[in-house]
Amino acid sequence: MKILIVDDFSTMRRIIKNLLRDLGFTNTEEADDGTTALPMLQTGKFDLLVTDWNMPGMQGIDLLRAVRADEKLANLPVLMVTAEQKREQIIEAAQAGVNGYIVKPFTAQTLKEKLEKIFERVGA
Amino acid sequence: MNDAAQAEQHIIDEDNLARVRDLLECMERGDEEGAREIVDELANVRETTLYQEVGKLTRELHDAISAFGMDDRIANLAEHDIPDARERLNYVIAKTDEAANRTLTAIEESLPLCEKLESESGDLHARWQQFRRKEMSLDEFRELSRTLEAFLAEQNSNAGQVRAHLTDALMAQDFQDLTGQIIKRVITLVEEVEANLVNLIKVAGLPEREKPADDGSLAGPVVPGKETATTVSGQDEVDDLLSSLGF
Repeated sequence: MKILIVDDFSTMRRIIKNLLRDLGFTNTEEADDGTTALPMLQTGKFDLLVTDWNMPGMQGIDLLRAVRADEKLANLPVLMVTAEQKREQIIEAAQAGVNGYIVKPFTAQTLKEKLEKIFERVGA
Repeated sequence: MNDAAQAEQHIIDEDNLARVRDLLECMERGDEEGAREIVDELANVRETTLYQEVGKLTRELHDAISAFGMDDRIANLAEHDIPDARERLNYVIAKTDEAANRTLTAIEESLPLCEKLESESGDLHARWQQFRRKEMSLDEFRELSRTLEAFLAEQNSNAGQVRAHLTDALMAQDFQDLTGQIIKRVITLVEEVEANLVNLIKVAGLPEREKPADDGSLAGPVVPGKETATTVSGQDEVDDLLSSLGF
């Protein structure tokens, strides 16, 4: 299981990386925005994308749309972890094809639950 | 000009009375040219008054603007305090970033030590139970004894390392005191700027305008007490919203 973590704040990437590691996902890589993440996804054979929304350069929602528009990546599970809490934005992400949506600040338990839910669906 | 202004304030004065008398006289005389001249003169009185008024308004506006320009406090705010606040806030970002990274490093360095303790003590516990059940050969016991000795020595040193990391994580929290003080100062400054802006709006007589519509930019984190009908207030509401969309 290879996971790409995309967030413009290195501290948040480190937190997510450690939480994932604690959940048994040790194979993670990091990117600081969509522009750097997309080529990594296209070449790196990732099984899951965990992305922030608000980032300089390419934002998370645009990265999600780019992933869904890419034939090879279209089915990649995407979990959004963001401080954006507007209803219309959550709906926008859902319409763009997000697989899970976590609002910051979040707990390790929330991350665990959402990941389980995603894998349950992907496996089903 | 002054005479004209006086004339405007008191339309009935000696000069105008004389002009009107002359005008009447001219008209009775049938002196078309003379009458026209006096009418023009009277109109001129009005016109110069208008210019006078515009001049007065311009001067008042100019004074008001220069009063603002010369207000040391406002100039100081713009030239010094605002850039200073920007620097202070950047310092807050730097300090919090540094503290978060220092804490994360302490944790990341402690975690493998804890994991090692967990797995090795689990292994030793199982073997110890094996010994207690008398299911262990002498050679196996000798091996266990050596492992146990090495384990205890290593854990003693590891515990010291974990304690040092925890102390470091503890010390990394000292940013809160500094950043708290800085942010309080900036809040005071913002309040002062706000008061000055309100004054400026009052002087300029700008009508209060409605809040601008959503410009489509991202709203960022919701601050407690600032939730609106358009935002959700936590993960549970996000989950509810998504499940209502069929997630």
